[in-house]
Amino acid sequence: MAEAAPNVLELKGITKQFPGVLANDHIDFDLRRGEVHALLGENGAGKSTLMNILYGLYSPDEGEIRVKGEAVRFHDPGDAIEHGIGMVHQHFMLIPVMTVAENIVLAIEPRKAGILLDTDSAVKKVEELANAFRFRIDPHAKVENISVGQQQRVEILKALYRGADVLILDEPTAVLTPQEALELFGILRNLTREGMSVIFITHKLHEVLEIADRITVLRRGKKIDTVDKKGATEEQLARLMVGREVLLRVEKPPHETGETLLKVENISVVDDRGLPAVRDVSFEVRSGEVVGIAGVDGNGQTELIDAITGLRRVDEGTVTVGGVDVTNGNARKVLDAGMGHIPEDRHRRGLILDFTLAENIALHDYKEEPDSRYGWLFPNRLIARARGLLEAFDVRGGGPITKASALSGGNQQKVVVAREVGRDPRVLLAAQPTRGLDVGAIEFVHRRLVEERDQGRAILLVSLELDEILSLSDRILVMFEGRVVGEYTPDVSPEDLGVAMIGGGREQVVA
Amino acid sequence: MSEQVPPVQQPAPAEGPPSSAARLSALQRAGGIVPPILTAVLAFFVGGLVVLATGHNPLTTYREIFAGTGLNWFFQFGSYDIGVPFSDARVWFPWNVNDVESEAAFNLQQTLLAWVPLVFTGLAVAFAFRCGMFNIGGQGQYIVGAMVSVWVGSVWVDMNPGLHVVLAITLAALAGAVWAGIAGFLKATVGAHEVITTIMLNWIAYWIGNFAFGQGGPLQNKLNESVPVSSDIAEGAALPVFWGDPLLQGLHIGLLIALAALVAYWLTLTRTTLGYEVRAVGFNPEAARYGGINVARSYILAMGIAGLFAGIGGAVDILGWQFRLGVIDIQSSVIGFIGIAVALLGRNTAVGVALSALLFGALLNGTSTRNLDPEVFAPELAGNLTLMIQALVVLFVGADLLILAVWARAKRIGRGRHSGAAEEERT
Amino acid sequence: MIARAERAGMGVDRVFTPRNLAIAGIVVSALGFWVVLPPLTQRSILWPIALGIVGALFGIAAVTRGVRRLGWSAVVLSLACMGLGILATNSSVGHLDSVVVWSALFASMLRWATPLTFAAIGGMFSERSGVVNIALEGMMLAGAFFGILAAQKSGSWEFGLLAAMGAGAALALIHAFFSIQLRADQIVSGTAINFLALGVTGYFFVDVYGELGTPSEIPRIPDVHLPLDRFKFLDEVFGQLNLMIWLSFALLFVSYIVMFKTPIGLRIRAVGEHPRAADTVGINVYLVRYVSVTVSGILAALGGAYLSIGFLGSFNENMTNGRGFIALAALIFGAWRPFGAFSACLLFGFSSALAQRLPEYSGSAATLFQALPYVLTLIAVAGVIGRSIPPAAVGRPYQKQ
Repeated sequence: MAEAAPNVLELKGITKQFPGVLANDHIDFDLRRGEVHALLGENGAGKSTLMNILYGLYSPDEGEIRVKGEAVRFHDPGDAIEHGIGMVHQHFMLIPVMTVAENIVLAIEPRKAGILLDTDSAVKKVEELANAFRFRIDPHAKVENISVGQQQRVEILKALYRGADVLILDEPTAVLTPQEALELFGILRNLTREGMSVIFITHKLHEVLEIADRITVLRRGKKIDTVDKKGATEEQLARLMVGREVLLRVEKPPHETGETLLKVENISVVDDRGLPAVRDVSFEVRSGEVVGIAGVDGNGQTELIDAITGLRRVDEGTVTVGGVDVTNGNARKVLDAGMGHIPEDRHRRGLILDFTLAENIALHDYKEEPDSRYGWLFPNRLIARARGLLEAFDVRGGGPITKASALSGGNQQKVVVAREVGRDPRVLLAAQPTRGLDVGAIEFVHRRLVEERDQGRAILLVSLELDEILSLSDRILVMFEGRVVGEYTPDVSPEDLGVAMIGGGREQVVA
Repeated sequence: MSEQVPPVQQPAPAEGPPSSAARLSALQRAGGIVPPILTAVLAFFVGGLVVLATGHNPLTTYREIFAGTGLNWFFQFGSYDIGVPFSDARVWFPWNVNDVESEAAFNLQQTLLAWVPLVFTGLAVAFAFRCGMFNIGGQGQYIVGAMVSVWVGSVWVDMNPGLHVVLAITLAALAGAVWAGIAGFLKATVGAHEVITTIMLNWIAYWIGNFAFGQGGPLQNKLNESVPVSSDIAEGAALPVFWGDPLLQGLHIGLLIALAALVAYWLTLTRTTLGYEVRAVGFNPEAARYGGINVARSYILAMGIAGLFAGIGGAVDILGWQFRLGVIDIQSSVIGFIGIAVALLGRNTAVGVALSALLFGALLNGTSTRNLDPEVFAPELAGNLTLMIQALVVLFVGADLLILAVWARAKRIGRGRHSGAAEEERT
Repeated sequence: MIARAERAGMGVDRVFTPRNLAIAGIVVSALGFWVVLPPLTQRSILWPIALGIVGALFGIAAVTRGVRRLGWSAVVLSLACMGLGILATNSSVGHLDSVVVWSALFASMLRWATPLTFAAIGGMFSERSGVVNIALEGMMLAGAFFGILAAQKSGSWEFGLLAAMGAGAALALIHAFFSIQLRADQIVSGTAINFLALGVTGYFFVDVYGELGTPSEIPRIPDVHLPLDRFKFLDEVFGQLNLMIWLSFALLFVSYIVMFKTPIGLRIRAVGEHPRAADTVGINVYLVRYVSVTVSGILAALGGAYLSIGFLGSFNENMTNGRGFIALAALIFGAWRPFGAFSACLLFGFSSALAQRLPEYSGSAATLFQALPYVLTLIAVAGVIGRSIPPAAVGRPYQKQ
């Protein structure tokens, strides 16, 4: 169907250099009228950069943008909007305290009496637009009170209200429940039927095959190929995306499990907005095993981690670490009970970037001997202890008195791992331990986790990377909408796991 | 989920109140001594322009102000015959350190007298900064300290002198700590922004002072009901003077207390677990919480310690040379506010606070009515010139942090070009 | 049976909503204080106590039903009224008659509230756009000085107002340049502006007027005479108010309409809540913030000019003496809304007016009364009576990509 349709958009030879990174390297891309064109690539492949260039947020170092045949230069999003390009950001650009209608008409508001805001007409226009594309939305509702899926629709309406006929969606399903994702796909089909064109940024293969007409694959800033959906297979796309067979197996000899070291019983937790995020979750992790928690982002994993580690209130249920009840204790209590915690975000939590490595390594132990005595700190002892750990964990790029901010991401993560493992914890919680790392660093972390397991620690691995879960775990739990919806052995197929992660699987408890 | 490039999205707006101080404190220690000096020079330059524009000669004005600071005492080079300490011998020395009676010596004493409280109020701002808070309340904490010390100093007349001094300073310090601690407590418990609360506390302290020492106020002196001033402190409560005339505002041992406070400040931050906690919270409260640090406790303690410094500052002024506290003193005092400039210019380090306190102390003294020759430049004008220069310093400090950031970024880009591969996967 | 009872209960509930309970508490407790004052001047101590307790009970009832802010207000107010009422019954009737002259108190309240209103509404523009403005004090002071300087030199108060606006705008532009363009810390920049205004006005005041101070013959902003002779009370309150007071009323309505009923206001609020979102739809964040900060400077300076050439007819160093901070307090107390801020300004103005008249009654207590706005604001931000939530992006510099 799209074969004959003319191009509405062409990008030619787009190049963008950031400090230390060639984010886009002579990328060509075109978009036809009425199609969904997926932009597929791993984290860091250059998808978002390319789209931010197209939307006028960055200016390219080289290359040309053509809209309906006309060469254009965008200086800011306003220029892009003028040329009919609308973008739905991954983090919504909505003002929570304002109504849906106010958000949609912002900057091109209908007026009455010349200067006054015409709220009634704004509401009417929003309703008309929503009806035209068969959306359900309440224009009077405040954005902070509607669901994430509805907020996304507000973003789409915002673009349509501005006359967009090209819509860029940046990882639109990352924040959606599966039902909401299905609804979104329905909306997108309605849009393309009306002649709109959609660029769909994602790193999820199954979505691509479900919604896209054509697929362009990026890898490390370069365009690899553009293929039609017809005939494309997951394996082919995966190969294009990662440049190798997806095979991330770690040497993992079988290991005896021992006593239960982490026990989570029927806990329920709410998120920052006070909505239930973890619902009645129970599991246990024994000495000598890796339990992986798989799930799509935003299904309660973050809140679960926080609750276990004393960083978030547990509303119901108990958490026991090494036989000690730490429910609703603080981080200190959990640490003292023998928990090591590699946090999800090393910049937000894992490290104090302005501290030296020695100070960072002392983060949990600064109050104890030998680091300090009677409140008196011994910087030289901090440095001596750090030196040994940094060497043992092969941290490069700095010594004990280097600031953490001066290290590369991989080495920063090694510092975190060194600190957490170096305390000889009985339970190790590793959350997204390889996020943003290069292959070498990933291998290091994975090997280390298996070694720690073999030494008899209980390891809880929470990751969004299916490969990681499959290759490291001895048992796999799947979280969906705040609940554990299934337990699997590591020989489960990725497809089955994927189905469970989007809420499709039935409980398959392995005894 | 995001690409490894400068983030397009800012943190979600709902992430909580911004900590202006957290951002500042990270940059405060960058760039060495050059930017603060440039800041000060630029401020004096712009101040000079104002002097010039109003028909005065900035060079003679500044020279005259400098002469009044007593800092020229340090420049008495030449051939001198001086005494050797602890003996009767006299030797030749190229620097006249023997001069203790000249006008320069007297002026220097006065400058150092102004230096002492500025060190304390500067430390009060700096310590809170290190914990990620902006303590605008140094003025109020200073006044509270002064009020308590004058009360303690004047009530128990017959107390043992040494004990009296210690008690007055201790209670003043505690009062300052409590006053600042209110702001810390409100931040820790309900998240009230410390800038707002300390501003309010400043004015509450101001009006309490006006009330307490004003006509008919509970702490007004009983000798002359028409003068809104406290009773004098007992002789035993006064700090001993070690340089100059005790009756003519000689230099008291508060100077030593200030030096001790500077050392204590540095030791606390770098050599104690408390200082470690405070700095961790100042840089990254979320990481501190994850590390097992009680963030709320750190906020309260850091503000309390900040108030402790300011309270001692108020006490030392009262016990050292003021000996009484009048409504007019409370209304005209700006020592606590100058502490903001002292801390900012001094980059929240002990040495920096000491040096910038000297700059502002000298400026305050050099522009005082006593020192400045009205023929050259009216002292009333000069006092306002001091305020202007101080304002410009604060203004430029805000901007030079940014210039630093831009500079650091440029450097990083330069470095990135040379070793791009090594930084590739940095997020 | 049960269903009917419930339905009947619901009918009662509609009248006794928690909100109405709280309002009733406020009214009752105020009544308790009022009856002991002239003209009624009840001398029994029972009146304020009984009505105060009733008011407090209403307040507590409201709090337990979830209306915290208003409920606690009622409780606090009833306790205050009880205390003041008891004090009033203890003092002589003559004293009361001299202090409590309602018409004079109201007129005085409006005079004291006006400079605060200008500055607070100015602050609202700045802070709603996401720029903290603790420099209101300095901007007021600059307006006061340059207003009187220009008025005196040119012989016309209109020029005085123009000069004041210019001075306020200039300071505001410095604040804007540093905190928007250079992304300096907004608190640091505001602190600097306050000192700068203090230094500059003091410097030029001494340089121009020397020891004699401002001359007594200053062109003043005129009063507006209204023919209200027939209504004695109204005449005494509104009959002879300064033009600026009436302008402040107008400003109140205009600023409300601009902020909440026009596209401009929508954009200002958008920029203050989520600048990136505003930017992505093509709103010029820097421009909006520049304009908003400049407007705040102009309005604050007008408040200052009213002090010098409208109200007092003179200038002295640091004459604003914290009024800019009271305006800031009013802004916070009023939850960044025009009418909220104005109510707070009236409250603070009333306390000033009362403090002015109290010296005849008790000198030192009057001084302490001046601290009231700050104490109330401290309580307000402490969240005891419900939190004031600032615009989400206030205090954050915005960096364009």
